[in-house]
Amino acid sequence: MTLYHFGNCLALVYAPYHMAYKFSGVNEYASFSKCVYAGGLYIFTQLCKMLLLATFFPDSDNLNTTGEYNVILEILKATVDFADLVGLYFALNSVPGKGHAKILTAAIGWASAEAVVTLCVPLWVGARGSEFSWRYVRWCAGAGAALVRLAARAALVWLAARHDLARALRAPVAALLLAAPYRALLLRAVAALLSLPQEHIARVALHGAHTAAVALAALAMYAIQTQQNAY
Amino acid sequence: MWLYEADGFAEIFKGYLPYYLLVALPIFIIMSPVNPVAASHEFSVYRMQQYDLHTVPHGCRSASFNLEGRSLTSWSTSRHCVVARVQDITIDQFMEIRSKAGALLLVLPKNDTVLSSEEKEHIQLLEMAMIQQEVSAPVYFAQWTPEYETILQDLQHSFITDDKSGTALEAIFNSVSSNGYQIVVSAPTPQKIESKPVTLHGKLVGRSGSSQTIVIAAHYDSSGVAPELSSGADSNASGAVAVLELARVFSRLYAGGSGGAGRGAPSLLFVLTATGHSLNYFSIKKWLEEQLDSADASLLQDVSFAMCLDSISSSDQLTMHVSKPPKAGGASHSIKERLRAPVNHKKINLADETLAWHHERFSIRRVTAFTLSTLQSHKDPSRSSVLDTYSEESLKNLVSNIGVIARALASHIYNLTDEASDEDWALYDQALGIEETSVKHWFKYLASQSRAPQVVTTGIPPTSGVTAALERALSRYMDVTVSVHSVDKREPEYTLYSPTRAVLYVYSVKPAVFDLILTVAIVAYLSILYFAMQYFPRFYEEYAKIVTGKAKVH
Repeated sequence: MTLYHFGNCLALVYAPYHMAYKFSGVNEYASFSKCVYAGGLYIFTQLCKMLLLATFFPDSDNLNTTGEYNVILEILKATVDFADLVGLYFALNSVPGKGHAKILTAAIGWASAEAVVTLCVPLWVGARGSEFSWRYVRWCAGAGAALVRLAARAALVWLAARHDLARALRAPVAALLLAAPYRALLLRAVAALLSLPQEHIARVALHGAHTAAVALAALAMYAIQTQQNAY
Repeated sequence: MWLYEADGFAEIFKGYLPYYLLVALPIFIIMSPVNPVAASHEFSVYRMQQYDLHTVPHGCRSASFNLEGRSLTSWSTSRHCVVARVQDITIDQFMEIRSKAGALLLVLPKNDTVLSSEEKEHIQLLEMAMIQQEVSAPVYFAQWTPEYETILQDLQHSFITDDKSGTALEAIFNSVSSNGYQIVVSAPTPQKIESKPVTLHGKLVGRSGSSQTIVIAAHYDSSGVAPELSSGADSNASGAVAVLELARVFSRLYAGGSGGAGRGAPSLLFVLTATGHSLNYFSIKKWLEEQLDSADASLLQDVSFAMCLDSISSSDQLTMHVSKPPKAGGASHSIKERLRAPVNHKKINLADETLAWHHERFSIRRVTAFTLSTLQSHKDPSRSSVLDTYSEESLKNLVSNIGVIARALASHIYNLTDEASDEDWALYDQALGIEETSVKHWFKYLASQSRAPQVVTTGIPPTSGVTAALERALSRYMDVTVSVHSVDKREPEYTLYSPTRAVLYVYSVKPAVFDLILTVAIVAYLSILYFAMQYFPRFYEEYAKIVTGKAKVH
């Protein structure tokens, strides 16, 4: 398609991030540099993860020639994503201020870095190429959901790191955090169970529903925790 | 309130975005691939024939295009590439496309669909009409694949056409849902290719004391609307196979017997030429010039007759085409009697662009000659068709026809009469045994590939590919001489052009209006997001109240 289409896709990806930064009130608490710092941490975490994957896991491109899906290997690989949670924790710690400011700054920085690193090049190559595909539009719309998901995850990490975490919240927070790295795997399993076709609108809906559920749960727990602190 | 919002939106574009772009865009442009070709469909396509005959241009004159694909009914301007099945397009439609459309892509019938004889005839006539004149737009042919089927169906059912949709809303909906295709072929501009046709000939020497020679000739090239697709089974793999088989049979007869007792009186000269009717029998013309006009014209000194074989597999009834009715008592009359074939007499018309039959080249040089063919007329469109392919039935006809020819030839050479005893005939039939497996092998091999002049006469060295295979086969029975001809530099008898094939990319695209609609949708999405962010604190308050059951205290 055209450069115009590429511009459309870019707007779809990056405008929500910019708006989130501008209108969530984050810029009143923390400076832009904190967001950049969180983004830097994201990149550093990905490098560490790649090192781990490259060192301890067999080369999946050559291994998977038979097309078999090795569940154990995939689960082990997903386990490496716990590094993301550690990275988020450091990002949260580096931001001064109240809880919600910490969470939003870290999430926006982290998610923007993710969007820049993972989407820019495929979009430039794909959405600007001659071929039209709904895939790129879907990716771009997915970036907005990723921001919500990361905010929820950051909230969970923030909650888990609190010493005065309400006793009732400990189990659900731990459960959601433990499930976070396996999100993609679990969703794929659910989609396979429901036998949804590849690249189908139902899959997009499934991802959306999951993100909304996690976000609402995290928000609820955040609300309970802050309520308890207020007394 | 509205002022603030407007301010907020403006901030987005005033703030950091220009700086991001300032950094990001140059990086993108550096990283951008030189050739952003990542099409979902990539096909090999075959360009239509392009050649000049006596400097008269024929066929398609250009090669590259980058146009929007349209169906036969929906194309309108030269910015469209018409995509159609070859059996769907009529000659009138082709004439219109030839003068107005940007390009034409024709999909050949699926291999396993058996075309009706009317469809076959239609396609052959279309091919003839296409090749008669020059076409300035690029024309390509493609083998059927399932992907083409979807593309063809999409193009037929798409309503991208601007005038067909009823309401504006319908047009918008169609532009989002329908698939358009951008069709791209990037090929080098057509260029002349050097063509060096050859003539292979080998001689079986007859009994000493007789200087009579019988020439058995056939051309082995094929012609069709697309060079790479013309496998030419009937015209003229059949003739070439027959020459090989006759060479095998008679080489055995001539070598048999003690002290050459089986040797017939006349010498047999087997000739295979590289260019046939599509290029006006150029090779045999040059070869005859060389043999007859040279100082020692020993090879063709006393030719009793020249027998040309052309398209002898379409039925089991041979026809003898002559330019002069055979005289009673002459050698060709004797063959005619023995073949019991009807004679078709057609005078040579030098005013025509091409000669009708192979033997006319001999007749012009005052050599008694005739062509044996199963076709009734030289104008039969099946002689230059891409549909001329191998079939079991044509093999059966070919074997029986070779048998008939071999028998007639043998009975002429050994001067057998009809009164010969059955015992004698049985003996001859045994000696003349046509090996069906070898005929089948050669027929299949020759018909399995393109033997267009663009392919068989441009090899380096001149004897490569099919030519080399034929030379090796013939040299098993006799010494083979290869004569390489070349076209005249200043006034070329014919000129061939490359490329004959190209790679076609098909991109699925959306109409330009789709991007505008997408922009509107994105703006709406962002506005909703904006209001969601504005109302998020209130939502949170309510939500917290529900979750904790208490009013929030600040």
